[in-house]
Amino acid sequence: MIKKNYLKNLNNSKKPFIIYKSDKGFDLYTDFSKKIILTKNNIEKFINQCTKLKTKKKETDLFIGFFGYEILNNLIGIKVKKQKGLKFPKGIFYKPETKIKFPNKLNYENLGIVKSNTLFKININKASYKVIFDKFKKKIKSGETYQIKICTKYSNKAKIDALDFFCRLVKSNMAPEAFMIKDKDYSIISCSPENLLNKKNNFITTKPIAGTLKKTKKLNKIKALVFFRKNIKESKEHNMIVDMERSDLSRICEAGSVKIIKKKIIEEYKDLYHYVSLIGGRLKKNISSLDILKAMMPGGSVIGCPKISTLNLLNTQEKESRNIYTGSFGYIKSNGDMRFNIIIRSILNYKNNSEIAVASGVVIDSNAKHEFNENYIKAKALMELYK
Amino acid sequence: MIYIIDHKDSFTHNVVHQFENFDDVTCDNYNEINEDKLNKSKTIVFSPGPGAPKDYPVSSAIYKKFKGKKKIIGICLGFQQILYCEKGKIIQQKKIYHGYQSKIKVTSDNSLFKKNSKFNVGRYHSLKLKEPFAAKNFEITMRCAISNVAMAIENNNEKVYGFQFHPESFLTENGNLLIKKILSV
Repeated sequence: MIKKNYLKNLNNSKKPFIIYKSDKGFDLYTDFSKKIILTKNNIEKFINQCTKLKTKKKETDLFIGFFGYEILNNLIGIKVKKQKGLKFPKGIFYKPETKIKFPNKLNYENLGIVKSNTLFKININKASYKVIFDKFKKKIKSGETYQIKICTKYSNKAKIDALDFFCRLVKSNMAPEAFMIKDKDYSIISCSPENLLNKKNNFITTKPIAGTLKKTKKLNKIKALVFFRKNIKESKEHNMIVDMERSDLSRICEAGSVKIIKKKIIEEYKDLYHYVSLIGGRLKKNISSLDILKAMMPGGSVIGCPKISTLNLLNTQEKESRNIYTGSFGYIKSNGDMRFNIIIRSILNYKNNSEIAVASGVVIDSNAKHEFNENYIKAKALMELYK
Repeated sequence: MIYIIDHKDSFTHNVVHQFENFDDVTCDNYNEINEDKLNKSKTIVFSPGPGAPKDYPVSSAIYKKFKGKKKIIGICLGFQQILYCEKGKIIQQKKIYHGYQSKIKVTSDNSLFKKNSKFNVGRYHSLKLKEPFAAKNFEITMRCAISNVAMAIENNNEKVYGFQFHPESFLTENGNLLIKKILSV
């Protein structure tokens, strides 16, 4: 039985903690005995050590945390030039000693300590967005990329109560990969809907989302499916991601075992419909956690395709660090099982600076104005938490 | 053994799994070629990939060295790589096909496949072959049913084959059969 004011007391105690959406509710992890700050020099060693814990049966026999975008590039041998930004760590993992299960309704009364007086600033305005957009369209025509996601970022200065933000966010936008981290000098709040990998024993799945439709009164699940099926642009983007994820899985799975388990289905959320596929395969023998992460990360659906040349194009273009955005949050259990999401629809608050990054795709028939506005809509739901 | 040369594409391992249905496969990046394995292989496959054939001089050199000595198969960029080495011109097309499913048909009597048969394939290309194209022993054997753009070449003399579409894509019907047939001749 969870004590009535558990969350409030934990939040007041200043102890770091993590909350991650589970099947039935939420899991809270705290009492961290280790905290590992990742660099490009220690990341491989860290991943290899995760499965070397002495005990493998306790629910806390795992490392939980996040990989930022840059370190996932480094992991697959792609360099990212020095960028502007918050100088936030590239990745942090924790070893919890306590895990507590919560129901879907989180019981927490907000302390009302949001202090944000400054408006959000955007790092790329509409005109510069158009310039980048047109540049990438040329790259699509010349075949260097087939699909690429331009990231824009909104930032402000604010002192926030991360737990309050998270509780309000999941109330309005419950998502299967929602999570929050609160530590001394930073917090992350995310309502990510996208699972990048789920590995249990020798079976692995990924569940890419490509295609989002805002709910209206006239729409229902079947009509949303008809919309996506008929919309050539959405279909093409989705097809590309399905083939790319099949290929990523094929790197680590036995030949002939990679299957599309759910092909192009609709998932319904409070305010939107997502176009989703589920792809899975049986892992080859002797595949390590490191092999799996290198094959699957960074998640293709938020980068573009093909992954390597598209990452190189993005890294030449983007002057500001993506930090956590399009990185991955999740855990590696000591028995080798893993679950990781793609960090999107997220807020990073570091030393009282907040940033919300969003992205949308450029394919040959997308429109700059539409994608720019789409980005704003995605950010708006998060910016509203500051009111 | 089949040696697949990866042009750092995000579809290459679908190609690997498809060929593994029929034989042992080794796959290396185009800039990390294992000469020993390349020499020992019976078939060389040029993978899909970003960019244009001129960006991959190593692949062109391998093609020229082994043409007529080993079976060679090219997919998408790999198809264009073969044509480029045969003095074909690869140009941008107006309509761009990335993630596109479309119908193609077999247009030649000399094809390994039945003339006039039509089927759906997955396409990922912004470039195409400029025609007219002519090279000794080569024939264009499949075309887009709508635009007529070249979709496959066959050279049954020297055993060189290429597909502009992706036989390994989930959008392609009977992709495994295509590959099986080509590997069996």
